[in-house]
Amino acid sequence: MEPDAQLVERCLRGDGPAWEELVRRHARRVYNLCYRFTGNSAAAEDLSQEVFLRVYRTLGSYQPAQGAFPTWLARLSRNLLIDHYRRMRRDRLTDSLDDAMPHVEARHSPTPSPEAHTQAVELSEQLQQGLARLSPELREAVILRDLQGLEYNEIQLVLQIPEGTVKSRINRGRIELARVLGEMGVRPA
Amino acid sequence: MDWNCTLTEEALSDFLDGALAAEERAALASHAAQCEKCAQMVEQVGAMVRGLQSLAPVEEPPHLTANILRATLGAPYGQSVFQRWLGWLGEIGQTRFAMGVATVAASLAIVLHVAGPNLRHVKAADLAPANVVRRADRGVHLSYARAARFVSDLRVVYEIQSRFASQPQPQRSPAPQQPSTPATGEPPGKSSTEPDSGGGGTRGGELAAQFIGW
Repeated sequence: MEPDAQLVERCLRGDGPAWEELVRRHARRVYNLCYRFTGNSAAAEDLSQEVFLRVYRTLGSYQPAQGAFPTWLARLSRNLLIDHYRRMRRDRLTDSLDDAMPHVEARHSPTPSPEAHTQAVELSEQLQQGLARLSPELREAVILRDLQGLEYNEIQLVLQIPEGTVKSRINRGRIELARVLGEMGVRPA
Repeated sequence: MDWNCTLTEEALSDFLDGALAAEERAALASHAAQCEKCAQMVEQVGAMVRGLQSLAPVEEPPHLTANILRATLGAPYGQSVFQRWLGWLGEIGQTRFAMGVATVAASLAIVLHVAGPNLRHVKAADLAPANVVRRADRGVHLSYARAARFVSDLRVVYEIQSRFASQPQPQRSPAPQQPSTPATGEPPGKSSTEPDSGGGGTRGGELAAQFIGW
């Protein structure tokens, strides 16, 4: 598979198929980040589209020496997500923990059997509900670490905060999420 | 090494990620073996982290990639080859395509009619470039002559019609002889042409004869 950096170079030379390949390769990752952060598929779709539009316009500013392309992409996505969160907070939709639980839609994940599929969908929804009750700082740290699989130094690049703060947020986020899930009666196996 | 519940909480992620030094790891495990609260936290958070990490990614909406490509690169991108072909075929159904085809067909018909060979008796000599040019030249001149004659005929017809129109209308039924014209109530201008009205048809015939001869 052609490395991302080469695809980016081809894109900058105006190669349409290279951009198509780049979008197809990373669309799911970006969409998942947006979906896990917002808990809403329509918002995640709009935000994913916005992310790629911004990537398209600012692709020239990507420096491979400063980190892998997925990290740069996650940083860009995260900035848009925080903007989105602030807009939503102004509208008093996601700010208060006393608000009604956000509506989490059933999503389809590729799983082998119907039983496993049902369990996976159920767990996915419960975790999503738990994530929605974390503060955005803790939520994004847990999503980047445990759902997107980023390393600590990569998360540091994405969030632009010291590594100690990254570690602390991930740790607090995990403990808080486990507590919330415990209150909800969720016991991940 | 002394260990307590606060330290367990602070070092929990490092412990779960395997990033804790051996000595601290042993101290935490030893403490958790005796502290039910810490043991429960390690077990709960550990299970949750495993649950999160084993979660399959959700599938993006099927049209997301296509929408992104369309928004960035334009319409043809974001579609499969089959869809692109379908898109091309869809153009046929459009009025502008039908108009284009009709225009090309009409142009071709005119060119063939003027310069083309007689399709009923095609000969090899018809395809020689010199013959094609000669035939086209002849066709153009003939068409021009026909058009010029047609326009000229039209002019004659128009002139005859206008001459007729300038003549007063012949009376269809013989009107009773009115010695006094003002009594009919006709305008003075009309009355001035009255004496010629009886011979209108004859004059029209003369004009027509004159023009046919011309």
